[in-house]
Amino acid sequence: MRCAWKELLSILPAWMRSEVDRQGRDTLQELRLRLGLPPELICSCSNMHMGQAVTGNDLNYIINTASRYSPWAASSIGQGYLTAPGGHRIGICGEAVVDDHGMTGIRQVRSLCIRVARDFPGLADKLRHQDGSILILGAPGNGKTTLLRDLIRQRSEKGSVAVVDERGELFPAGFSIGERTDVMTGCPKVLGIDRVLRTMSPMTIAVDEITSAEDCEALLRAGWCGVSLLATAHAASVSDLRSRPVYGPIVKSRVFDMVVILHSDKSFRAERMET
Amino acid sequence: MKIVGAVLIVAACGGIGLSKAAAHRRLEQELRNLIGVLEFMGCELQYRLTPLPELCRTAADVTRGTIRHIMEGLAQELEQQIAPDVSVCMAATLQKTQKTSPILTGHLERLGEWLGRFGLQGQLKSLDGLKAQCGDALKDLSFHRAERLRSYQTLGFCAGAALAILFI
Repeated sequence: MRCAWKELLSILPAWMRSEVDRQGRDTLQELRLRLGLPPELICSCSNMHMGQAVTGNDLNYIINTASRYSPWAASSIGQGYLTAPGGHRIGICGEAVVDDHGMTGIRQVRSLCIRVARDFPGLADKLRHQDGSILILGAPGNGKTTLLRDLIRQRSEKGSVAVVDERGELFPAGFSIGERTDVMTGCPKVLGIDRVLRTMSPMTIAVDEITSAEDCEALLRAGWCGVSLLATAHAASVSDLRSRPVYGPIVKSRVFDMVVILHSDKSFRAERMET
Repeated sequence: MKIVGAVLIVAACGGIGLSKAAAHRRLEQELRNLIGVLEFMGCELQYRLTPLPELCRTAADVTRGTIRHIMEGLAQELEQQIAPDVSVCMAATLQKTQKTSPILTGHLERLGEWLGRFGLQGQLKSLDGLKAQCGDALKDLSFHRAERLRSYQTLGFCAGAALAILFI
């Protein structure tokens, strides 16, 4: 298992570092910080609270260090998250700033949810011989991104894989990328899929978390061009996926040959995609 | 003995006048360097969205003198990730930097307060605003520059001569 642990500790205020390091080095999944309350460590087997309460300065410090003091380089703050060095995703909650074009930022941060990025090489070994397009389903926190990461690496042993990594979480520095993987980060999926399809001649295109009808359309366009797809989506099962209108075109088109359903204990099962 | 003393007094006062003129020239040069750095930062941000520590480091490479030291120091402070925001990093850098003029310090403090505070468009506007302020300061300094520099030197020597006459 690999984790950019040092990078995670470096964005935390000094008083938090040693305890987070001691309590969560191997098991920490999420660190939740709420203004005026002690930090909550959500580990794989237990939850615990630290003693001291979180202040506004602590939250600002984390955002500043995670964005490297550069709000312009972290444009995703307007979408309520930013990706810290090491691929750790920080969800941000507080008083939103909204203009005609939507949410542009968060003025008064009140809560942060830091999700620790971990890499488990070999996790997707069971899927090594599965060709074609695969859709990974699971609830938040079940390990969709982790499985996709390993699947990409395995696919890249067979041919070129173009990854459109909108959030920059899939392959942060230090994570093995695979032999023939090309990664485009920071680009919206819709634009990125069309770009890599035209410019990189990939055998497979991989994206994390398809959430909108536009994402689905872009994937379908790529699928119809004969490219294999690897993608993840929030759904507990195929019937759950079918019940969501946004995923309707994907289910109907049969562009995915197989779905992999992740369970909360991180195990998974694969089944053929039926319409 | 009296003549030697008088010469020393005149030379010392003249030296003060000359150093004042040199400080004036240095400040003009530093302001020009700062304007250059602000211009560079604006271009770099617009095209590459460079994160601040790298931006300061690259900006240091394109300038010299005090501004170069300050940009290097700021990049170092930011990379250490100790301070909660950029203004604190800038204050720490200025504290470590030897004697900068109050005018330059004021502009740099403002730069520290504005950097890393806004989105791209806001940041570019704030850099432009600061550039205009530095331009105004430079214009003030350049106004009757030659006469002013000559006055510093003349005043120094004249004050020295007057003191020497008084003492004699």
